[in-house]
Amino acid sequence: MAKLTRPMVRIHNVETDEIIDREMNDAEFAQYEANKAAQATAQAEAEAKATAKAALLTRLGITAEEAQLLLGGN
Amino acid sequence: MTVGRIPNVEGGIQPTLLTTTGDIIYASSASNPARLGIGSSAQVLTVASGVPSWATPASGGMTLISTTTLSGATTTLSSIPQTYNSLFLVISGVTANTSDNRIRCLPNNVSNLTNTTGVDGGTIQSADNSPIRLSERVTTRTSALNAFGLYLHNYTSTTSYKPLYFSGFYVQTAGGDIATNIAGAFRSNTAITSLVFDYGGTNTFAGGTVLLYGVK
Repeated sequence: MAKLTRPMVRIHNVETDEIIDREMNDAEFAQYEANKAAQATAQAEAEAKATAKAALLTRLGITAEEAQLLLGGN
Repeated sequence: MTVGRIPNVEGGIQPTLLTTTGDIIYASSASNPARLGIGSSAQVLTVASGVPSWATPASGGMTLISTTTLSGATTTLSSIPQTYNSLFLVISGVTANTSDNRIRCLPNNVSNLTNTTGVDGGTIQSADNSPIRLSERVTTRTSALNAFGLYLHNYTSTTSYKPLYFSGFYVQTAGGDIATNIAGAFRSNTAITSLVFDYGGTNTFAGGTVLLYGVK
């Protein structure tokens, strides 16, 4: 079975100009996984909000641009 | 009497006081002429302890510290020299491999100590306890049409927050070209020694360049 690889990271030491490309270490990978979960949650929330907004506009019978106009936005 | 010399009378200044081309006569005290020898090239006349002197002017301007190609899930600029007053970064042509998201910068890899507000695409945007979100809106990952100029002031301070501001341009996923102009601060008393760039935390960079300048 092929070894599962972790995402790569790049570290550029700007003092020595040394560039290291390596796989994430444990701490970085844990943070990456946490970000992934947070992003999935945020995306689900954004999609739910967009769906609710579309449903409300449909119920009101106006477009998003017309709603923006009512709210005084540009 | 020697031709070319002023008689040695009260109030006269002997030309022999001067020895070198460019020498200047000044009063080292009342009624007491003194010689100021010519300075070195590019030195400027200044005053120190109440008398004129030549001095090398304080250097200013920007120095290119590094050029970095963005790669991987994160790209870190580490060991940032602590010898400048401010940092200026030009971030451009940023693209990602996986999904559309935001182009972000995390001072010292800290994601929750930056507060910003400003105008992004004609709309007032604020972000608290965040990373520096260069593109406030979700950004088209395949578009390299983005560029930002980011200033970080007082970055070596261990006693105060770091003011920052950036402006730039990007293409948002929802459609439309976005011009952005944001200011705020990195709310940390720790000196900034590294800057981490990512594309929303779960992406990998496909391209992009960061120029790091030190500003005196």
